[in-house]
Amino acid sequence: MQRDVGSLPLSPALRARLLAAGFQTAQELLETGPCGLSKEIGISREEALEALQVVRQECAGDAAKTAGGSGSTRKCTALELLEEEQTQGFIITFCSALDNILGGGVQLTKITEICGAPGVGKTQLCMQLAVDVQIPECFGGVAGEAVFIDTEGSFMVDRAADIATACVRHCQLIAEAHQEEDHLQALETFSLESILSHIYYFRCRDYIELLAQVYLLPDFLSEHSKVRLVVIDGIAFPFRHDFEDLSLRTRLLNGLAQQLIIIANDHKSAVVLTNQMTTRFGQNQSMLVPALGESWGHAATVRLIFHWDNTQRLATLYKSPSQKESTIPYNITLLEGSQEYQDVSRLTSKFTGNLCPFLLVPVLHSFCPSC
Amino acid sequence: MATKKLRRAKLSQELCERLSRYQITTCQDFLCLSLLELMKVTGESYRNVQKLLRKVSLACAPKMQTAYEMKVRRSINPSAAFLPTSLHSLDKVLHGGIPCGSLTELTSPPGCGKTQFCITMSVLATLPVSMGGLDGAVIYIDTESAFSAERLIEIAGNRFPTYFDSDEKLFCMTRSIHLYRELTCDSVLKRIKSLEEEIISKKIKLIIIDSVASVVRKEFDTKLQGNLAERSNFLARGASLLKYVAEEFSIPVILTNQITTSLSNGLAIPADLVSPAHDLSLSEGASGSGKKESACVTAALGNTWSHSVNTRLILQYHDLLTRQIVIAKSPVAPFSTFFYTVEKSGLVLQDGKNLSNLPWEGTNPALQTIQVRNTALGNALLKTTDETPGDTPSP
Repeated sequence: MQRDVGSLPLSPALRARLLAAGFQTAQELLETGPCGLSKEIGISREEALEALQVVRQECAGDAAKTAGGSGSTRKCTALELLEEEQTQGFIITFCSALDNILGGGVQLTKITEICGAPGVGKTQLCMQLAVDVQIPECFGGVAGEAVFIDTEGSFMVDRAADIATACVRHCQLIAEAHQEEDHLQALETFSLESILSHIYYFRCRDYIELLAQVYLLPDFLSEHSKVRLVVIDGIAFPFRHDFEDLSLRTRLLNGLAQQLIIIANDHKSAVVLTNQMTTRFGQNQSMLVPALGESWGHAATVRLIFHWDNTQRLATLYKSPSQKESTIPYNITLLEGSQEYQDVSRLTSKFTGNLCPFLLVPVLHSFCPSC
Repeated sequence: MATKKLRRAKLSQELCERLSRYQITTCQDFLCLSLLELMKVTGESYRNVQKLLRKVSLACAPKMQTAYEMKVRRSINPSAAFLPTSLHSLDKVLHGGIPCGSLTELTSPPGCGKTQFCITMSVLATLPVSMGGLDGAVIYIDTESAFSAERLIEIAGNRFPTYFDSDEKLFCMTRSIHLYRELTCDSVLKRIKSLEEEIISKKIKLIIIDSVASVVRKEFDTKLQGNLAERSNFLARGASLLKYVAEEFSIPVILTNQITTSLSNGLAIPADLVSPAHDLSLSEGASGSGKKESACVTAALGNTWSHSVNTRLILQYHDLLTRQIVIAKSPVAPFSTFFYTVEKSGLVLQDGKNLSNLPWEGTNPALQTIQVRNTALGNALLKTTDETPGDTPSP
């Protein structure tokens, strides 16, 4: 009520007039009333009424915050946060080594960034996560939906369909082994069609479309409240060309990162971004580093780097607030059991020995017979 | 999309006029400003500015589709999703052939068969759908003047003798292949920008650019300062324009690339193989300090370009007669290799060859080692002591 007039979110011209007329606190404005205000400042009655409504809303919001009741407050004790974190689910990746180094899987309410060289498996992991987020709760999933924002055009529907089919089959195997009522019930709604219908796909061709889409995302998520994963495949691609003004780029990226943090927190969903690697030339050597510069490294909470060591793919947990830095090997495998691919899969999946296959041949905890 | 004027974003006339006084006329200008700046230029309150932002974003944002709708659309028209290459084993692993709607890159040392492959694909695209083609025209952007019309007719006549039985059919096919000779980066970019209109007017179903690397390497010397950034800029712009065209019209785009020698300490030197002896001396000369540095031949144009293409096929030498085609990067296929030879009818796969003796496995597609001619010859000569090359074990 004692709020200063200069801090109210009115239009600048109106604010200037109020200050010039000598108003200092919000209380004064409310006491004057719309007719008095319009006469004193020289604005129309409708404008004055609108301004007073804004002031009233602001003060009501302030009062609620100080009373500590409203749901939009972000204040709580560490104990409440601990309880929340413990009941929160993770989005499993179906590669138990990767889930282990992440501390259970991709965390909700946090931004995870995946950097990697071309062809290493970033888009594959994103498609895998878009399917895994939909696993019903009785199988250990979060039963959510996914938003997939594609800037590079590398999303392949056929591959996503393959991954979804394998996931459904795996859940069917678990249900058969356990024979529980809720498992069978959940399986009825967990099918290829339902999985694909709950992946909301946006194709953004340049950075303006990406910015516009992220501005609209909170409204979209309010309408589709079951979304638990937002994937932006290729945050680097639209920002790496056509930018002469690097400071504008940094500002836009920071704004984007802030909006994504707000989205992750308010809607309890995980945000996964993929980044490219770029060559940085040192004295007489060059090395691959994540693109978009040093300051972008602060945007993500968890950073995974995928890289090659000769012929083996490795995943390194590079930055995490709660887990230790470590590296694990992984593979991308094909659909097991599908007649078409049997010959090729015998040729290429030499590594399935004791390493955990990454996709589609799920080695999930204790359920898989081969592990 | 970015250059969309604000009046088309359904903002009021007076607001647009007011904004144009601050030089804000397009959606791009509007969305790049922060909220406080927007409040200042529009003179509106915080809440109204947020509403305006939402309105402008709605005008720019892409439409939503679910993955299921995409799949249904694909299954209605399955033949339109791929262009079969008529190399059957390759097509099987690639889920049908060269994918439509994305960029496919072909890399190889000189003389391996890139242009032959491109010419074969041009013929295939003009075939009717019943024979596995796309029944459309082809745009062939040639930067090396390597396209030979006589070879085109030879391949067509030998590969599909029953279809091209009359001269008239051959001429009809050659009329649908539109050849453009572009010799500078600027002209290539201009040509790519004009593609959208040409595709609609001429019913194009395939775009081939042979080759991207030759113009780029002629004009950009990466040792000079600033050139590397400009080169990446040019390539990224070209790639995004091509991707837009490929996706919008759902057609395949094939690009060819050259090779380069990359030393283990990272700096890449363009491998201009004028003579076979050159190749070896490059790597030896660079390691003059006496340290054992492994130099390997890989695809040119750098790391960023490897990110931009969706599929990468590598053609390389295996021994005196046979070559190999390697799938180095693909969102649907694993790392695989196939042997082939170049004959009258174009590329022919050698299915009988034993594939188990692969000397290398898949690795980073940007750093995948490519075998050049004299290395292959060297290997072949070494092998003659143990076994005669060309001996295929009976299946």
